Amino acid sequence: MHEMSFAMALLENALRIGEEKKAKRISKIRIEIGELLLINPEQLRFCFEAVSKNTIAENAELEIEFTKARVKCSICGKEYDEIKNICECGGFIEVNGGKEMIIKKVEMEV
Amino acid sequence: MHKIEVDAKIDVLSLNKRYAKENREFFRKNNILVINVMGAIGSGKTLLIEKTIDSLGYKIGAILGDVVCKADYDRISKHKVKAKAINTGKECHLDAHLINHVIDEFDDVDILFIENVGNLICPVDFDLGEDIRVVMVSVTEGDDVVAKHPEIFRIADVIIINKVGLAKFVGANVEKMFNDAKDLNPKAKIIRMDLKEGIGFDEWLDLVNSYVSRHNREG
Repeated sequence: MHEMSFAMALLENALRIGEEKKAKRISKIRIEIGELLLINPEQLRFCFEAVSKNTIAENAELEIEFTKARVKCSICGKEYDEIKNICECGGFIEVNGGKEMIIKKVEMEV
Repeated sequence: MHKIEVDAKIDVLSLNKRYAKENREFFRKNNILVINVMGAIGSGKTLLIEKTIDSLGYKIGAILGDVVCKADYDRISKHKVKAKAINTGKECHLDAHLINHVIDEFDDVDILFIENVGNLICPVDFDLGEDIRVVMVSVTEGDDVVAKHPEIFRIADVIIINKVGLAKFVGANVEKMFNDAKDLNPKAKIIRMDLKEGIGFDEWLDLVNSYVSRHNREG
């Protein structure tokens, strides 16, 4: 389960931003997670709840939005909405992105 | 007290990416081919590295990742090569930072094997700075193991299906595993192997030799 290490990285970053703004409490963290990143959002929330105890981010809500990978044939350039491996034209499909975790916004009380 | 919303745009994986880049630069500077061996517990990762060390004339080093204990390290050390154990503690994968701590000790090897923690999920998200990604599974994990873990097979350069000699005893269909792997990743080299019986091992050695030649040619 590597949600724990992601939760800790989230917390560290959120606390750093909170400190810069002299926040009293962090109430919400908005994050984007790539659809191919092997992260379970429920486990991430659970781990975040555990690691944020006794910090100003305790009880902060994690608002998660999933982002799509770019799926495109390397030969004809056709794009797909879903992960595929071989294009209708027979070419290899390249999958790019979809593996990021980005902290978009941090909501806090100052 | 009032509420504010701060724009962040922070890539949570950026630290790993930075260390992976640093590792890759170190490996390139010292002309080291780095092979990250991933796969389930008991799939044969350590034995593959042991037999490769014994069969090839290169100077080989190995980093062995495990949650606890040094069993893999003890096995590899007996082959008189430079080896280092990394215990991840609670973590289920190696990351580029852990590798970065120990690479200085391997500046004089030709090939560095990194044996990842036995796991088909977590290592996927962590680039270590390697050149080649090997994913090893065995027929005893069930012939649906490939289809059940698409992401790790999608990022692999080499897929090894090990213990094919046991397939008839455990009712596993090797061709199903092969075809699942091929469907997921048509570009990967797929090897049917049985390390104890020597099946597919020469194919693997040829492949490693070709990677070394390409690496020396292209840098």
